[in-house]
Amino acid sequence: MTHEAREKWGDALTYLSAIVIAAFFLTPLAWLLSLSLRTRQEVFLGASRFIPKRPTLDNFAQILSDPTFLLYLWNGLKLSALGGLGCLLVAAPAAYAFSRFWFSGKSALMMTILAFQMISPLVILVPLYRYMSRLGLLNSHFGVTMVYIAIGVPMCTWLVKSAIDNIPKSLEEAAAIDGCSRFGTFWRITLPLAAPGLASAFILIVILNWSQFLIPFLLLNKDAQLPISVAIFNFAGTSNASSTQVLAAACLVAVVPAIIAFLLLQRMIVGALTAGAVKG
Amino acid sequence: MPTTTAAAMGAAQRRVAGPSLARRIEANPFTWLVPVAVMLGVFYLYPILDVFRLGLTNASLVGSDERYTIVTLQAMFENPALLDILKTTAVFTIASVVGQQAFGLAIALLVMRGERRKLKGMVALRTLVLVAWVIPGIANGLIWQMLFSEAPFGAINSVLRMMHVSPVAWLSDPNIAMLSAVISNVWRGTAFSMIVFYAALKAIDPTLYEAASVDGAGHLQKLRFITLPQLRAAILVNSILVTIQTLNTFDAIISLTGGGPGRATEVLSLFTFNTVFRNYDLAGGSVLSVLMLVISLVLALFYASFMPRREVSE
Repeated sequence: MTHEAREKWGDALTYLSAIVIAAFFLTPLAWLLSLSLRTRQEVFLGASRFIPKRPTLDNFAQILSDPTFLLYLWNGLKLSALGGLGCLLVAAPAAYAFSRFWFSGKSALMMTILAFQMISPLVILVPLYRYMSRLGLLNSHFGVTMVYIAIGVPMCTWLVKSAIDNIPKSLEEAAAIDGCSRFGTFWRITLPLAAPGLASAFILIVILNWSQFLIPFLLLNKDAQLPISVAIFNFAGTSNASSTQVLAAACLVAVVPAIIAFLLLQRMIVGALTAGAVKG
Repeated sequence: MPTTTAAAMGAAQRRVAGPSLARRIEANPFTWLVPVAVMLGVFYLYPILDVFRLGLTNASLVGSDERYTIVTLQAMFENPALLDILKTTAVFTIASVVGQQAFGLAIALLVMRGERRKLKGMVALRTLVLVAWVIPGIANGLIWQMLFSEAPFGAINSVLRMMHVSPVAWLSDPNIAMLSAVISNVWRGTAFSMIVFYAALKAIDPTLYEAASVDGAGHLQKLRFITLPQLRAAILVNSILVTIQTLNTFDAIISLTGGGPGRATEVLSLFTFNTVFRNYDLAGGSVLSVLMLVISLVLALFYASFMPRREVSE
């Protein structure tokens, strides 16, 4: 009885803590939404108008009717997706080798690849900026995509390797007996079977690329080439107190695609992360 | 005549060896690693070697005329600002790493307890925490600026004003700006620690807790003698990841405070960026980049030295 009573108190305390934590994590986003729905006058009323008296979608209309803003969104999506796709192409063969071959130094090599993940993009961009300017790769989406691929490759290799680990070998062995080459087996059997794992790795990397700031900020100068992350930073630099509500709307538009992608694939992403984390 | 025969035989052999050569190439694991090796070689290894080289020159981002010298190295280490930058970086990193892990562990424990008692809303809580993690760093800084702002639209100060408490200079007071930067970083980074600890907690053998209950252990004793020792490896791995992540944090600070007020929140990565891309001092920035690499490596090795040995843990 006393035990049950104590558990009930524990439950109440659990809920109370959960509400406090939820409030901490929700408030910034709720505030962003609140500001983005206000008129300029109501922005100056602060927290007293947390729920705007006259909510308006004008800020969103202003942003989304601007063709350059749509271009920023498109650039962000294009760079993130191409980066993710390139990552898979580069990482999948290596992941296959790490999953299906036995060779000495394999785990050391895998740790070495993961160690690259620890290096700040800033460190490599210091010299890369100069190479790229000499090679004429500044202000090109191609150059940015290549750097995205390089930065995503270590994590992608690990994610795809654990996806391939989960596929039974028997189908590949059957294909080999039927005379299929190793590469043919990899391309026609392994990769299609690993599709769900490849998809979650792809989405995770696209989400990470979507937040990339430093690389496009340094390597792209022309306004029409910028992805959304750089565009909102530049916009924040030029905006003032009277355009806060527009900045809030722009931020929200930049953030929502990542949140939606995450929510739709939450289970796959959390699974991939925890698999990597436990082995890590 | 003999030479042509030899050539013909060689050709014949090659024709026979043809398919088996392809098979041999694809049976070699290193063939499969070539794309990754090329990408990492071109975009990581070569630039890193070049960073070491450039640190010993007087290179600038705009000029192309450079020569080898140790003047840059000397100047950078004699720069009185560097010590302050390193202190700022240490405070930001330690506070973020401790904050994110403590908070992440607390949430993971809370969610575990809620799931054990079959309470509702635990998945929703976990999801909400994780949503903060996918917010781009730049947006994170801008959002928290709207919360900390001292203008009328600043959320926290306008609530304080409504409660007749005097507003706080969250971003313009040098001492408080660091706290604000840490809070915003903890908000975004906690999710990662939470999910790592959540996975590790699930992996703990429940019979350990049952045995402890039989022996009459309380909640705190279970936490102290079972949970924390069992989480040791997860905490260490997570510490490495979070520390390096925090050291490399750049976008969330540049958009929140820009390193200010003054230099109160200018961490090493931001200082490196400013040195190279604002002052065009490529050589100086390379010295700082090497410093960043060395600090990351030393810290990773430091944590790794506390790792339990595999034989012992398994």
